[in-house]
Amino acid sequence: MPKVIFHRDGGATDVVDVDAGSNVMRAAVQNGVDGIVGECGGQAMCATCHVYVREPHLDALPAISEDEEEMLECTAAPRDERRSRLGCQLTLGAGGLEEVEVDVPATQI
Amino acid sequence: MTVEVTGARPIPAADRVTIPDLYADPYPIYQRLRSTAPIHWVPAVNRYLVIGYEACHTVELDQERFSADETGSLMKRSMGHSMLRKDDPEHDVERKAYGGVLRPKAIKQHWRAVFERSFATYLARLKDAGPGADLVSEFAAPYAAENLRVVLGFRNAGQEDMQRWSQTLIDGTGNYADDPDVWALAERSSAEVDAAIDEMLPVLRADPDASLLAQLAGTPMPLESLRANLKMTIGGGLNEPRDAIATTTWALLSHPDQLASVLAGQRWSDAFEESIRWVAPISMYPREATRDTELAGMAVPRGARLGVVVGAANRDPAVFTDPESYDIDRPKKPHLAFGGGNHFCAGAWIARASVVAVALPRLFAELPGLRLDPARPAVVGGWVFRGVTDLPVLWG
Repeated sequence: MPKVIFHRDGGATDVVDVDAGSNVMRAAVQNGVDGIVGECGGQAMCATCHVYVREPHLDALPAISEDEEEMLECTAAPRDERRSRLGCQLTLGAGGLEEVEVDVPATQI
Repeated sequence: MTVEVTGARPIPAADRVTIPDLYADPYPIYQRLRSTAPIHWVPAVNRYLVIGYEACHTVELDQERFSADETGSLMKRSMGHSMLRKDDPEHDVERKAYGGVLRPKAIKQHWRAVFERSFATYLARLKDAGPGADLVSEFAAPYAAENLRVVLGFRNAGQEDMQRWSQTLIDGTGNYADDPDVWALAERSSAEVDAAIDEMLPVLRADPDASLLAQLAGTPMPLESLRANLKMTIGGGLNEPRDAIATTTWALLSHPDQLASVLAGQRWSDAFEESIRWVAPISMYPREATRDTELAGMAVPRGARLGVVVGAANRDPAVFTDPESYDIDRPKKPHLAFGGGNHFCAGAWIARASVVAVALPRLFAELPGLRLDPARPAVVGGWVFRGVTDLPVLWG
């Protein structure tokens, strides 16, 4: 089963198993991981599921779409040019990532 | 699901709640109701009002159990069947057809300059009206209307048309009393909007611009849906920025310490987000239960007409400390004023840009000594839509 490892601001870690086809934002919201809001439900519209992807997974990520790019300019916590992504755009399993490890920003709003 | 429903508590009835009381000030009513349950059956409005934050949030995120496609919807009658009353995948197709028109890149490229121009126009109008003028009618309403007119692409209408269309179509959407005069005005506006769209579509196909109508003219969206979506956008796109400007100004002028902090730190975003938490411009919207189900431990019957009261959720003490107060320094928690899930407000970035980046900072900069008129207090009203309707101000 695909897996997301969340390192929350403040140090706690959540490991969440995810259904294939779901995404990092939904994994967080459905499992009550603090620090991910996901206001718009996954339309790349609100910039409240911002995560910093950890190094070993960066090469496996999908390309950043135009919609995601403009939302990454609107995040509440600073954007990291290499590591910042929207969790809703990172699909797990089903041809997507099998595992991803992310840092959750200090704030989303 | 049956097991869950069997174990769920019954929803209490709130027989004493009346529409005039809700209109005058719904918050004490929500406080009283919240102390016993997060959902109440309110006969006066013929709905189950969902007032708890968690319960509202759950409804927003679950369109399988709580459909936006409401039976007997007044909004459908007033505006046609827009995406706001559809679930995915139908909703998603129409939402995507809006493309980038309302998003940050288009705001930067096109709309920011429009907001600046409107600001200059309606600041001048407010100044001409002189100290003592009503900030809502002389500035906030025409400013929001003119911005909306240009973003939507109505070259053949004026901001007064936008205001009339928006108000009468919204009045139809909220016409629970089934007043025939309200329907007549809504129908007239609906026909006017249809005619304006019909006139603009060939013009914008020949001479496209960055507007929403030009964008939609290039999509296969059926005309009936296009018309309904435009009317929905005229409704929501005007009152939110208008009311956010007025409520934030009223709140800051009523809280001088916080105004000083905003001015010193250019904290307009904090002031705005707190004001729409405090008084959500769109405070209630409908959903319909698709099956017997459980919500916040309570049994909701299939077909139940729900009112998702984000205006109440935003003051839930389980989430917000001292929620009845206006406090720009409160710990940041996501409010529900823009809705959530797949119906999250498509105009949220337009609202933030036009209100936070332009209207509020410029108003306070251009009108030194801006203050409330002690002789004529602000008037606030509404519960489905709530806002400051009259805001007499002095300056200088």
